[in-house]
Amino acid sequence: MPEVIERRVLVDLDRCIECRSCAAACYYSHADYPAVGFARAGWALLPMICRQCKAAACVAACPVEAMVRDASGVVRRGLFRCIGCGSCARACPFGVIPNELGGTPVGCRSPEGLTGHQVAKCDLCEDRTAADPDAVPRCVAACPSGALQFADEHEAEQQHLQVVGGRSTADDLFKRR
Amino acid sequence: MRGPSLLFCPFGRLPTGAARTSKVVGSQQMLKAGACCTLCPAGCGVQRVQAGPDVWRIDPPLRDTGGLCPRGVTLGELLNHRKRILWPARREDGGWRQATMDDVASAVAAAARERGVTVFLDANVPCEQLSAAASWCRAWPGAKLCLVLEPAEEQLLLGVEAGGAEHVGEDALADCDGFLIVGDAFAANPRASRGVFLRRTEQARTPIISIDPAGGTAAKFATHAVPVVPGQEAGALAALAAGAGVRIDLAGLAVPKNPAARAAGEALARCERPAVLLAAEHGRTAAWREVGYLASQLAAAMGGQIACETAGANALAALRYGAKQGTVGLAEALADRAAAWVVVGCDLLGMLGWTGVPILAAAAAMPNETTNAAGFVLPVALPAEMAGTFLLSGLREAAVEAVLPPPAGVPTPGELIEKLALAAGAGVPVEPDEPAPFERLACDPPAAVACADPDGLVLLFGRQAAQAGCGALTGHGAWQQAVAPLPELRLSEADAEAMGVAPLAAVGVSANGTSVRAVAHVSRQTPRGVAVLPEGSAACRRLAACEIDESAGQVLARPAVVEITP
Repeated sequence: MPEVIERRVLVDLDRCIECRSCAAACYYSHADYPAVGFARAGWALLPMICRQCKAAACVAACPVEAMVRDASGVVRRGLFRCIGCGSCARACPFGVIPNELGGTPVGCRSPEGLTGHQVAKCDLCEDRTAADPDAVPRCVAACPSGALQFADEHEAEQQHLQVVGGRSTADDLFKRR
Repeated sequence: MRGPSLLFCPFGRLPTGAARTSKVVGSQQMLKAGACCTLCPAGCGVQRVQAGPDVWRIDPPLRDTGGLCPRGVTLGELLNHRKRILWPARREDGGWRQATMDDVASAVAAAARERGVTVFLDANVPCEQLSAAASWCRAWPGAKLCLVLEPAEEQLLLGVEAGGAEHVGEDALADCDGFLIVGDAFAANPRASRGVFLRRTEQARTPIISIDPAGGTAAKFATHAVPVVPGQEAGALAALAAGAGVRIDLAGLAVPKNPAARAAGEALARCERPAVLLAAEHGRTAAWREVGYLASQLAAAMGGQIACETAGANALAALRYGAKQGTVGLAEALADRAAAWVVVGCDLLGMLGWTGVPILAAAAAMPNETTNAAGFVLPVALPAEMAGTFLLSGLREAAVEAVLPPPAGVPTPGELIEKLALAAGAGVPVEPDEPAPFERLACDPPAAVACADPDGLVLLFGRQAAQAGCGALTGHGAWQQAVAPLPELRLSEADAEAMGVAPLAAVGVSANGTSVRAVAHVSRQTPRGVAVLPEGSAACRRLAACEIDESAGQVLARPAVVEITP
């Protein structure tokens, strides 16, 4: 069983200025598969970023085993196994697996959106973190206000950051509900 | 056959996770030290990444070094954009026909001989480009040079220069102990927010005062939100200064009763080193110069500093440089309709919200409102393709490297003006004694101007983190077009209910005989009586087009009254 990653992307909601830098950086580096979305909650526009759950519902829900936890512990989507059924997006209790961007389905290989649909999924920018242990995912590096942090639970505690839903969200997905 | 089929690709082009990692990191990802985004004064570091044989993109640096907003990330897409202007073209029979540089140069030379020529050059270029353009325009008979800044920002900077406050960079904001934010400075320069939040983390009671009639992003984080009538920012600042016990020397300025502003001033008076962050948005007020002056005097009197979050990285340097080189002001240049207009690097018409103005030739990296109106179109380098000196944050003199050199045959603005001038018979210019480009200007204090209080739903423009200026460059970004296919119209809950506008409904917004379609966003944060459209859209700017005030020598856009049709 692959080990679970320790560092996740945390969002300090009290610092997010809604500039969407994280979403733009993800979009341009992941081509048609941007994994950072946004949701309006009242008068706030919140970034929706994968929490890399310990008991990931998206992995359990995937009918073709495209959603897997890889050797480094990151839950990622295998591009050529994914059939774009959207089971993972529906199973995700946090709604962070995006199906569309501005009304256009993400992950379509053809401009008409008729063929080759795959689901977009955050891979924590492993191409960067594999090269440099101090590297951070693009969304974190792009965040100008410091609202996004790539940190583990202890680092978050040291910075007096309260992880929304409690740290137990990663152990038990539905506890915060 | 067992194993992933990717491994059997005869060309080795199908990327598995591991292969993609090793390829990108090992051989294709290249760091370019010193390169930075120059679309705002923050000068964020960027990393150039090769994403194919000839395809490049821009990534944020590997480690967290302060961020990179959507404007900076989009620059990478523009380097290879399919709409990039790469060769000269002439308008013929309603379409475009490929031309040569000589065709364009001879047409411009003929026009210059007949009626003179005004060259409008984007001010957001390195100082070396400004210097080369000024030299060649001096040597070019019948030519005048105008350095184009956003009109609101030009007036704001002139006021700030007269006020005498020192500038502060984003990195030093965390050392300040109080913040006065005029306009949506967080959207204008998202990086400025980091210093404010760092200070607030250390000292939770740090005052953050916002003066923003449009209720932008920065207003969300305010401890003191000063209510202000659209167009009356100068009055609110004067009331705040009175509350802080600072005497402002500005002839004819009436201080309105504004208890919230006075309370905010009292909170600011308890600070030892406050910072004033300014963002001058299009169409907000006719008194940006007064706002800049008041803010600058206030900061100077309180031992604080000022940060002007302009749309270009070199706006302040261009203002100082233009004044010392004797370039023509924007109002004077626009008033001279007899001269042939050559626009280099900027979207002049989009920025002003104008249409139907004849442009002889327009040089741009991407199509825009000005190239659409021009008789000739010329290619020119992108901001990311020019190396040179910038005055970042008003105080950091920085030698910036180009992310990439321009494509073959695409000139920089200086080279382009040189070609046009030589074709018009200009001699090689004698290198003048260059005045110090970064020395503060000696400006007179402005006189207070009366601002009318519009009656009805007032249209304001809000700065966006995703768009630079009027969106002439960044508006071509695929991400920008995907997330906001239509402009977002922000309305208060009360106004939306009164007009029968539902959230996310498509609406028509009309003013000044023109209209745009927009998506309504109903927000508690937006004050009642205002409708806010994005500043980074040339179509929206037409609703509050700039006017020339010849008596004051200014170009300005006043708040307009709009109609919204569900």
